[in-house]
Parts: sequence; C-alpha cells; structure tokens
Amino acid sequence: MLSRLLQVRLSGLLIGLLSLPSQAEVIELRQARADLQINGVLESRQVNLPYGWDSHHAGQAGLGRFSMDFDGPAAVTQPWVMYFSNLGNAYEVRLNGELMEQNGDLGQFNTSDFAKLPRLINIPKGFLQAKNQLIVSIRSDVGRRAGVPVVRLGPMDEIKRSVQLYMDWRVNSSVVVIVFSLLVAAFAMVLWLTQTDPRPQQGEKRDRLYLYAAVAESSWAMYVGDTFVASPLLPWVAWAILINLALALWLCAMLMFIHDVAGWAGGRIHRSMSRILMGLLLIEPLVVFLAFSTGRLWLNSVWLACFAALFLPSTVFFFVKAWRVNNFLNWLIVLAFVINVPVGLRDLYAIRIADSFGTHGLLRYSAFLFGLTLAAIVVDRFRQANMQVREMMENLTSRIAQKEQELGQTYERMEVIAREQERTAERTRILRDMHDGVGSHISAAIRQLQSGRASDEQLMQTLRESLDQLKLSIDAMTLPPGDVTALLASLRYRLEPRLKASDVELQWDVDLIEPLPRVDDKAMRHLQFMVFEALSNVLQHAKASMLRIELRGRDRGGAALRVIDNGSGFDLKSVKPQGLGSLKERAAAIGASLTVTSEPGRTVVEILLE
Amino acid sequence: MDKIWQVLVVEDDPQMREFFASSVARAAQLQMAAAVGSVAEALAWLDQPTHQVDVLLTDLGLPDGSGLEVIRHATRLNPACEPLVISMFGDEDNVLASIEAGALGYIHKDSAPDDIAQTIFLMLGGASPISPMIARKVLSKYAGSRAPAPNAKDPLVDSVQAGPTENAGNQVLSPREQDVLSLISRGFSYSEISRLQSVTIHTVQTHIKNLYTKLSVHSKSEAVFEATRLGLLQSPRH
Repeated sequence: MLSRLLQVRLSGLLIGLLSLPSQAEVIELRQARADLQINGVLESRQVNLPYGWDSHHAGQAGLGRFSMDFDGPAAVTQPWVMYFSNLGNAYEVRLNGELMEQNGDLGQFNTSDFAKLPRLINIPKGFLQAKNQLIVSIRSDVGRRAGVPVVRLGPMDEIKRSVQLYMDWRVNSSVVVIVFSLLVAAFAMVLWLTQTDPRPQQGEKRDRLYLYAAVAESSWAMYVGDTFVASPLLPWVAWAILINLALALWLCAMLMFIHDVAGWAGGRIHRSMSRILMGLLLIEPLVVFLAFSTGRLWLNSVWLACFAALFLPSTVFFFVKAWRVNNFLNWLIVLAFVINVPVGLRDLYAIRIADSFGTHGLLRYSAFLFGLTLAAIVVDRFRQANMQVREMMENLTSRIAQKEQELGQTYERMEVIAREQERTAERTRILRDMHDGVGSHISAAIRQLQSGRASDEQLMQTLRESLDQLKLSIDAMTLPPGDVTALLASLRYRLEPRLKASDVELQWDVDLIEPLPRVDDKAMRHLQFMVFEALSNVLQHAKASMLRIELRGRDRGGAALRVIDNGSGFDLKSVKPQGLGSLKERAAAIGASLTVTSEPGRTVVEILLE
Repeated sequence: MDKIWQVLVVEDDPQMREFFASSVARAAQLQMAAAVGSVAEALAWLDQPTHQVDVLLTDLGLPDGSGLEVIRHATRLNPACEPLVISMFGDEDNVLASIEAGALGYIHKDSAPDDIAQTIFLMLGGASPISPMIARKVLSKYAGSRAPAPNAKDPLVDSVQAGPTENAGNQVLSPREQDVLSLISRGFSYSEISRLQSVTIHTVQTHIKNLYTKLSVHSKSEAVFEATRLGLLQSPRH
C-alpha cells in the first residue's frame, strides 16, 4: 500500500520534472545583480542563478540582496505565482517594491532556517507590469545551504503542474517517513522493554536487536523531522550538533542491527567496529562544532565519510552472508544496502563535497527501505522468539509427560514388588502358623497314637487344641492389627467350651483400648499364642478355681495384659513350667516385657505392650 | 414346648450329614424331615407342598451352590422357618452373609452332639449366638459414626453421653443394641452383659435376635434400594 503510494508519487514527480521545459509561458530568471554583505564588507556583482552561498562564501555568514529585472507577460489571464526551490535561512521577497513574503529575521544570524523547503508565492492580480523588478534578500548562516535558486514565474496552473508534485513529495514523504519510523521505533522499543529471553539460563536478557531498531528509527524520525523545524530551539551550531547526532545514531544503530542479524555480534571485527562507532559518536559534537562555527565544512564531510567507510565492507560481508544463508530477509537487507549505500555516498558527494545548491538528499526517501527491512526483521525476530517459547513449552510438556510415565511405571513396579512381598510374608506367616499350631498338634496326636500310651481323653484334648489353634489362626487373619481387646475376646470365645468344661471361674476384666500402633499382625499372632499358652497352663496344671484376665490401658500408651490364677503356683527357680520358655521367646520377639510372679494361691503372668 | 420341630439338614459331606442327623434324632422334640447333600435337592424337597420345615440346618459350601440360596428359598416359602448355618470356623464374613440372608444362628461343625440340639433349642427359644468377631464386624458395618469411645471403662456411660448417632435416618442399630454388641465384641458373656447393663439375660438375647432380623431385613431393603438405583426395579408410581 505504502510502496504503491510512493510509486505513484515517484512517477508523478518524474512526469512533473520532464514536463517542465515545455511550458513556454513560464519565465525563468537565471541572472541577478547581487549586493553581498559579508563581515561588514559590501560588494556588488552580477551573478548567475542558482547562487549557493556556501560554495561561494565557504565558512562565511552574510546577507545578500538579489535584484532581477524582467518583462511581464503580454496578457495576464489568470493568477501568477513565483517558485523558489530554496531560499535563505531568512528571506524577504519584494516585487516592484511591494513585500510579497518574508520569513525569519534577516538581522539575526544562526537563528531560524527557512531554507529547507521550497516556496510558492502568489502574485496578486495587477502586480505584474511590462517592466518588473524582483528583489530577493536572504540571510545565509555558515553551512546552512542558503542561496537563491533559478526563479520561476508563471501562471499558477502551469507552475503548480510542474512543481506541486515535488513540493508535496518533499513534504508528504517526509511526514510518511517520520510517522512510519516512529511507529517502528515504538514497536521495537515496546518489544525491547517487554521481551526477555525465556530460557532460564539466559537470565532476564533482552534482545538488543529491538533496541538497535528503536534507536535507529527514532533517530531517523528526528533527522527527517528537522525538515519541518524552521525555528529551532537552539542556535544553529548547537542544533547542527543535535541533528548530526541523530544522523550518527541512525547510522550506528543500523550497523549494529545488521551485525546482530548477521550473527557477527561478539566477534573481533564487530568489537572493533563498535569501538570505532563509539569514537565517532563521541567526537561528533567537536567535529560539528568546528565545522559549522569555523566554516571547515570538510570536517563534517570526512566524519560522515568514516561511516560510509564502515558501511561499505559491511555491505560486502553481508552480501556474502546472504549468498550462503539464502533467505528472504537477508536478501531484503542486501537490497536495502545496495540501494542506500550508493544513495548515501551520492548525497555525501552532492551536498557536502560538490555542494551543488538546489540538490536535495535522496537518502531520506531510499532509507525508507531500511525502515521496512528493520520492521520486517523485528517482526520476524519476535515471531521466532515466540516459536522458541512455544517449542520450549511443548518440549517441557512432553518431558513432563515422559517423567510422569516413568514415575507411573516405577510406581507400578514398586506395587508389584510390594504385592510380591506381601504374598511372601503371608505365605511365611501361614507356614509358621501351621508349623507352630495345627502342625505341631497333629504330629503330637500322631505320636500319642503311635505310642499307644495316651488315653482317648488325652488324644481328644490334643485334637481339640489343634482345631482351636486353627480357629485362632483364622481369627488372627481378620483381627485388626493392634486390637488387643478384640484378640482377647476372640480367644475367650474360642476357648469358651474348654473353660466351661473346667471348674475354673473366669473373671473377665477387659477394657476397650485403642489399637496399639506398634503391635502388627505378626505380633498379634505371637500375643495370641502367649495368652493361649498361659490359659492352657492354668487349665491344665495350676489346679486353680479362679482365672482372671485383665486388660488395662497404660497412661503412657500401650497396655498391660494379666493372666492371674489362684492355683498352687510354682517355684520359678527350680521348676520350669511348661511353655514358659516359649512365652519368653515370643515376648522378646514382639518387644513386650514379660513378668511372671508365682506364689501359692496367686500366679500372675503380666505382658506389658508398648 | 410340646411341638415337634421338623428339621432339614443340607450338608454335602455324608459323614457330617449323618452326624447332624443322629444329633437331631437324639432330641425328642426334633424330628429329621430330610437330610440332603446339594442345593438342588434341598430346593426340590422344599418345593414339595407336603413338606414342612421348621428348622433348617445348612452348610454354606455346597457342591452346586451356596447354602444361602437354600436359606432364602426356605424363608420365602415359610417365613416362620428358622435357618441355622453349619460353619466350620464361624468366620465373620460367612456368618454375616448368612445372617443377612436370613439365618438366625450358626453351629460349629466340631460341636458335641448334645450341643447341636442345645443350640437349636436356644435359637428356638429366642437366643441367637454371636461371636465377638461378628459383633465387631456388625458394629463397624452398621453402627456408622457411633464408634465405641476409646478406653471406655463403662460403655453405658458412654452410650448415654454419645446420644443419638448423626446418621439417625439410616440407623440400623439402636443405641442399646450397639452397647450390647460393643460388650460382646470385648468378649463379655451374655450373663456378664446382663449384669453390666442391669437387664435380664433374656433381654440381651432378644437384642441379639432382633439384631439378626434387622440385619436380614436391612440387607433385603438395601438390595431393593440398590436394585432400584440400578434400574432393575421400577420405583412405585404415585
């Protein structure tokens, strides 16, 4: 859209320029009598137009009064205008003694600058006569491109047809460049401020590319914007320092930008170039001050040529780079270079060296391509950064998923192992149970049968105990671990027939206590055996009439289990009561403390559980 | 108790079946109606209109199915029938399932012959047996949030303090029943419980008997509820 607009403008301009000489009615004034006042010295002479002040009076400010006599047109059928492509930094235009237009103060050097834009001045009706005198007075500051051009007078339509396009071009295109540059600058600046490298190891690193773009484009906008500043806030030399600084910043940022894109940043050549650029920036105020205050304009030209000297090799290197890494953006950069570097050199030559008055820099138009390239690369860089982030996120997500899967597999494996262990433990428990309980009883029954000495009653007793053991071991499977109350209850229930069959009175004094966390199912089974053993002892050997079972919770947690009988008792030192050894072993196995006290009439088996 | 009770024995082990039959035969008030060895035979026998059974003794693990089917069938035909489960170990899962199916008690396979008749008479007299393990299981399954207080020396005090349970709407066990169950689960005998609770043994027995009925009914209503929920039964239209 923008480029098409420019195309239209450009072709219009060409047509306008080409159609210029064909206008017969237009009067062109190419000679004038000049009264020049330089450093208080007055001088009058005949001069040819255009008259560029800087090329005639290098390094000298002054005032000039240019008089031109010309014959009026035969008949004035429509409004006439005069056209000046440039004028002085201040000027005054008089026709036949009447003031036509005045801009700036002729007496105040180094203030306003009205030399930057072309002027079209209306000639009021009836002013043109057969003989006319045009007097153009100008103020010229040093190096400020003041002067008097070839003056064109003619019917408004004719002049406008030939110059309007150029005037519009100069004004409008500058506006477009400024607006576009500012937009790109703002965009790049926002990106520079907000976008940081998301990779953790990079810290909060910002992308310098955005900063270069922002600096380049804002500087360029300032440089081009100077066209519209007729009354700078600063005196001419200070203003010149500022404007040249903008130009230098643009050049530096462009070079840095290109080096960044090419991936040369950090290299040895790049570091040297950076130092040179920094040096050029630092000496800029001095160079410009000297150039414009002492009239040594060549200093400024040499300084600018230094930039050109840096741009030339960069262009070549980048061309090679683009050749190798073949992508659209690289070639866009090459195109921008290939167009702009020659244009820049031409401007440098035309304006600074040849100082042909009336020519204008073309870089401001061609550099638009730089702006476009910059914008395109910034957008591309942003897109790539986003893509990187997305790839990183995807990568991260897949890695997390993978880790999760691994974790799941590990968990499954662990579960399989745990189940395996559980089965093994269960098998071990059942085997031990059978060995200690049913197995030992049945083998005892077999021995009793084999010996032939056991009575039926004894045999019955053994077999009953065997079945009791089996029932107890089934109970043990369903007993909640640590629930000693439930354990005693089931034991009583299972032994109830045997207790009934004996003449022993049972005193049941069992508290409801919380399951003991340190008594696991293995310990439960041991405890079951121990109580069973103690009860069997009482029923079979103690000759007791009373059996008391107590369960008490203890203040510090744990429980105290007591089996008390009023039987004959036994001497702990001399007699080894049956099963006492096994009681001790089991107590040790479950970490319980076992105390047996015995005297005639009172035997206490106390098991203290943690 | 002049009535002669008709007894059906369902047991697949011929020796055991013979043992139960002879144990029953020794009691004057019990009469063996039949002794069969499978679910199919039992159902066929029950379906004969002339056959009447007052006491059903059934094993659970039968070759062609579960004794629970026989219990359900018998109680459906004759709600007054009193089923007893023959259990080797009296293990809680099997016994509880039997109670929920409608059994009113269980007999251990290793019981003495006299004890078998004794158990039948006790049951007929309204006393159902319950072991501490089963009491604990019933408590944990039906008592809901009203768990026995830890280290409680006197469950009566606790029960008063605890008050009605939170899920009273879904209440299966009455507080008194829970107290009795709690004491049973701690190993106390019926007589000890009656002394602790200051009630007669008969009252304790009634609690247990009621409990049996309740669990059976509850399990039936639960089954209906489940079936309705699953869409197997249509809910009644209003």
